[in-house]
Amino acid sequence: MEIRSAAVIGAGVMGSGIAAHIANAGIPVFLLDIVPPEVIEGRGNDRSVVARAAIERMLKTEPAAFTHKRNARLVTPGNIDDDLEKLAGVDWIVEAVVENPAVKSALYSRLDAVRKPGSIVSSNTSTIPLKNLIEGQSARFAEDFMITHFFNPPRYMRLLEVVAGPDTRPDAVAGLSRFADTRLGKGVVACKDRPGFIANRIGTYWIQAAINEAMDLGLTIEEADAVVGRPMGIPKTGVFGLVDLVGLDLMPYVSRSLLKTLPPDDPYRSIHREPELFTRMIAEGYTGRKGKGGFYRMNKSGGARVKEAIDLSTGQYRASEKATLESVGAAKQGLRALVEHPDKGGTYARRVLTGVLGYAASLVPEIADDITAVDQAMRLGYNWKYGPFELIDQLGPDWLADALRAEGKPVPALLERAAGQGFYLTEGGKRRFLTVAGDYADIVRPDGVLLLSDIKLGSKPIKRNGSAALWDIGDGVVCLEFTGKMNALDGDVMALIQTAIGMIGDGENEWKALVVHNEGDNFSVGVNLGLALFAINIAMWPQVEQSVQEGQETYKALKYAPFPVVAAPSGMALGGGCEILLHCDAVQAHVETYMGLVEVGVGVIPGWGGCKEMLTRATLNKKRPGGPMPPIAQVFETISLAKVAKSAEEARDLMFLRPTDGITINRDRLLADAKAKALELAKDYAPPEPVALRLPGPTARAALDLAVDGFRLQGKATPHDVVVSSALAGVLSGGDTDITVEIDEDGLLELERTAFLKLVRSRATIARIEHMLGTGKPLRN
Amino acid sequence: MPTYKAPLDDVRFILNEVFPVARLAELPGHEDHTPDLIEAVLAEGAKFVENELLPLNRSGDEEGCHYENGVVRTPQGFPEAYAKFIEGGWTGLSCDPDYGGQGLPHVVNFIMEEFICSANLSFGMYPGLSHGAYNALTLHGTDELKRTYLPKLVDGTWAGTMCLTEPHCGTDLGLIRTKAVPDEAEDGAYAITGTKIFISAGEHDLTENILHLVLAKLPDAPAGTRGISLFLVPKFLPRDDGTPGMRNGVMCGSIEHKMGIKASSTCVMNFDGAKGWLVGQPHKGMRAMFTMMNAARLGVGIQGLGLAEVSYQNAVTYARERLQGRSLTGAKAPDKPADPIIVHPDVRKTLLTMRAHTEGCRALACWVGMNIDIAAKHPDPEARRAADDLVALMTPIVKAYFTDHGFDATNMGMQLYGGHGYIREYGMEQFVRDARIAQIYEGANAIQALDLVGRKLPQDMGRLLRQFFHPVSELLEEAQEDPELLEFAIPLAKAFGKLQQATAIVAQKGMKNPDEAGAASTDYLRLFALVALGYMWLRMVKVARERLPKANGAAGFYDSKIKTARFFMTKSLPQVNALFLSIMAGSRVLMDMDADAF
Repeated sequence: MEIRSAAVIGAGVMGSGIAAHIANAGIPVFLLDIVPPEVIEGRGNDRSVVARAAIERMLKTEPAAFTHKRNARLVTPGNIDDDLEKLAGVDWIVEAVVENPAVKSALYSRLDAVRKPGSIVSSNTSTIPLKNLIEGQSARFAEDFMITHFFNPPRYMRLLEVVAGPDTRPDAVAGLSRFADTRLGKGVVACKDRPGFIANRIGTYWIQAAINEAMDLGLTIEEADAVVGRPMGIPKTGVFGLVDLVGLDLMPYVSRSLLKTLPPDDPYRSIHREPELFTRMIAEGYTGRKGKGGFYRMNKSGGARVKEAIDLSTGQYRASEKATLESVGAAKQGLRALVEHPDKGGTYARRVLTGVLGYAASLVPEIADDITAVDQAMRLGYNWKYGPFELIDQLGPDWLADALRAEGKPVPALLERAAGQGFYLTEGGKRRFLTVAGDYADIVRPDGVLLLSDIKLGSKPIKRNGSAALWDIGDGVVCLEFTGKMNALDGDVMALIQTAIGMIGDGENEWKALVVHNEGDNFSVGVNLGLALFAINIAMWPQVEQSVQEGQETYKALKYAPFPVVAAPSGMALGGGCEILLHCDAVQAHVETYMGLVEVGVGVIPGWGGCKEMLTRATLNKKRPGGPMPPIAQVFETISLAKVAKSAEEARDLMFLRPTDGITINRDRLLADAKAKALELAKDYAPPEPVALRLPGPTARAALDLAVDGFRLQGKATPHDVVVSSALAGVLSGGDTDITVEIDEDGLLELERTAFLKLVRSRATIARIEHMLGTGKPLRN
Repeated sequence: MPTYKAPLDDVRFILNEVFPVARLAELPGHEDHTPDLIEAVLAEGAKFVENELLPLNRSGDEEGCHYENGVVRTPQGFPEAYAKFIEGGWTGLSCDPDYGGQGLPHVVNFIMEEFICSANLSFGMYPGLSHGAYNALTLHGTDELKRTYLPKLVDGTWAGTMCLTEPHCGTDLGLIRTKAVPDEAEDGAYAITGTKIFISAGEHDLTENILHLVLAKLPDAPAGTRGISLFLVPKFLPRDDGTPGMRNGVMCGSIEHKMGIKASSTCVMNFDGAKGWLVGQPHKGMRAMFTMMNAARLGVGIQGLGLAEVSYQNAVTYARERLQGRSLTGAKAPDKPADPIIVHPDVRKTLLTMRAHTEGCRALACWVGMNIDIAAKHPDPEARRAADDLVALMTPIVKAYFTDHGFDATNMGMQLYGGHGYIREYGMEQFVRDARIAQIYEGANAIQALDLVGRKLPQDMGRLLRQFFHPVSELLEEAQEDPELLEFAIPLAKAFGKLQQATAIVAQKGMKNPDEAGAASTDYLRLFALVALGYMWLRMVKVARERLPKANGAAGFYDSKIKTARFFMTKSLPQVNALFLSIMAGSRVLMDMDADAF
């Protein structure tokens, strides 16, 4: 079965976000909600106003719900009174209405009457068991029904929990799962029809345990978050920061609905509390970031912005204080060092982890068939770096069992089974996991999924240095991975690229192609700015020039290498990290790739061929308006405003990606797609023809300078913006040239280099670099 | 008896021609401080040290200080000289006019300190410590403390000290045991108890009161340096009318018998529930103390400079007068029984080494001194920060390199005198003895080197370095255009390249393994200092070349500058190559041997 059209009922935050993301996959989708009472009563005449307003809202939310604004056109607003018949043609209907079984049930009956046979209906419920939902529905409905539980926000959170009932058609589950995987980019985790499914079942326990222990041990919320955050591979919001993010008012709602359905002996019941402080905060509107503030808030009353935090003992705000716990520092030595540390942070970590990990271990196979589903759900649904069973392995299953015994808690059977060996092990380069039956099974990746981390587990790099590595990813394809801090680019990266070029040779022997890819949060945010600043501070100008030239030559060599080079980025690709992509034969980008030439933010211009490549692209673009100015002006605008594409689709608009470059929506499939592309290109590959451009020279520069001067007069451009923009204008207009002269790539690179080196010596540029390194934000000087 | 003439010509050259002091008059508060005024003040200061302080140097050394029952008497003539010193207003030279100071630029005080140290280092210790206390109180004291104590420190009727070191800890102040508990009787007061040692000017008979700035720990203090607070503890508690009143619980237990600076009292100070007041925030004493220490470190560097200068002057006199043997290339004074020893190349090398480094250090001191003024008074915060960065960067270099040079130069001076240098009569050995302590106190020179590589160098990815490296790089580029300067610029460019490389390597290796930075530290500081002096010499020689054609009567001065610059660039600066190689050898050669095997 294939899903070509869809509908979402319920235009709340989740429903509209799901609809937007279905549209991101290129699927037309109806978004229906009720006709609001005021319209029924005659005030207003737009009967679909709820859905229409939701789409408008989606277009404005940050982070954006749509991967491209035009996707909004795929979402058709409607209402359930007038438009239900339109659903007769859709393949998939998602219900995301209020968590009320009666409302859902009534809706299902109406849907069943209009929907086409074999179409899938799924609910986005997070609290109501499937068996309750299908009560009273037709047998046919039960066969086509399942739960698809998205996480907020649907575009960005990768977890999709899928729950099938006993009657659900297996082919419907497989079809929808495949759609969610390949078209929506989700990590689909099959769950059982148990309360809270997997992620919220464990997540709710974790939040409660972390709050209880913080209160009992007298930790400040900063201390608590410093412990149950980064040291455990959990986002730095920790627990109180997370509650602020999702909304404190949701907590009692989620916990009460869980309490209604959890087994009578579930350990969550014994730790559940609703502190009086929280009730008061909710009542007074202190529900978190969406409210008047939460456990943390920015107090702007005194004119200055002061970060404040709730004192758990008094319930009053006070100035936020950075936690200084020795145990947090000790955690660098591993999780064991954290939980065994004698300070209160160590005690806290031990109590929280013992509780939640013991709980998780007790839930398999009740909530999932195996531990990998649980780990996957917590990684993708709560952004944990490690799932509970991976965390247990870090502590040692025996350590956890002993800790549970010491606290007089039962040791789950599965944990006993893992004793002395662990939940995961690596055998013959393959990762295996402990099954419920007690033996180990291979972790099998679906077809079309290739993970560099799997390859790294089973092999040694072909070559590596301090900042990059080369891996054999099979079939003669080499993968270049950046390995430095934040995947920063430096001389070592350039050296290894040169090594790869030499090693792959003409692409006719052992190696055929190169893929540039890594699994970091960000592909690369460019050059190692700290190192660059140090060289600048000690006036090592020849070395600065050399590093610019080295980057230019390396990227150019990559472009003209006699074998195909395909990049597979995800996350931010900025500055030099964007420039390398511009030099590749093809890019297979994860949809969540954020490309930009942001050099002006630190007072320089792209110096590794970024200006040259963008100018070439814009000039050679057949669809562009005539005359020499439009391409120059377009590139000038993109670079001088440091535009960053908020998705791979937007990157196409900005010409960072070409129409021929591909987009992969599921990150796990990115490397395989890129590899396939590289092998395809390797068949009778020929490197690109060198290009030469005719550029207008000083006249064009004068025109661009004039425009910038206008911005300065309007107060939109700062004095140094003018300097940097003028240098950029000089490069893009071709320097001291005229339209009769051809400038080749080396000529353009020289212009880039000269302008770059002049800028980098100016005080204002150095101030920008310093500011960026110190604050992470651009300086407007 | 050694003689001494303050080097006013050289100071005039540096302040008026190399780093025009006139520019300081652009700063708010310095409008009236014209070069003429500054010159007149310094000429007066020169006269004072030559006439009043120099004659007491030898006698003070011979007599030393006297201790009896907690009372310390300075050598004969010291109290009278001090009375004249404060009468002349020298204690308040660069102090805030709001508290009775003259408000002159710090650089002027810097130069005056050099003159004082040349003439009588021991004497200089007393006002020097007071000035440190003045700095700490000015920046960190409450308004009430400032009102009560600053005017007295400025007019010199009261003196100050810094009480840091304890019997079991010096470098590692986190270990101190002196305690401060809140005074139950008086709000805001504390009772201080503990023992401090090596307290310069801790007790003496020059002033009617002494203000001790004491590091101590409050009852709730965190461990280590983050738990240290700074207190002001006066010897006599001031009465309401500001006169010294009741004796406070602080007593001098004894004084040290030491190698040099014998006329400076070095005291053991016992605090027994002494009443004190907090200076700065609780537990933030190290910060307040560092203000004092940074100024003190620069001051100690000046001590080295002052002794090098006086030793050089006397060495030149002797080399011209001492007739002994003949020149290697035939008699130069055939009418005399022998040639003066100044005819010998190596004697000249010794003298030029002393002179080239001393004059280079003086220029560097003035550059840093003027930046202290810019950091204090410039209206643009960026300019203030830049100046402050330069001062912070150069402080360990000034302290360590100047004092090493002070000891080296005084030794060279003694060597030129032969046996006459070793006996007391000519006073040359006193300079050596007096110079030695400067390498040790206010943070031993190896600690300065660690401060440079561990703190100053990596700070904000080399932000402080920029204030030195960029001017040097710019001057070298400028010099490329001037063929006459190339002979001086090329050696400096090479040495600067070595410094850049060494800096990058020390930063890179030190980040991965701090032992690498530690192993390179003293060599690196020396390399840096030599390049800094080279930079000073290039600036000086550039000016000297421009001025020489129109110099008339001063032609000899500029000609000597050019010749000294040539000496420095060709005979001293090449040491950077050896230092560079030693830095490159890394830490392994030092760390390989087991501690037991030493």
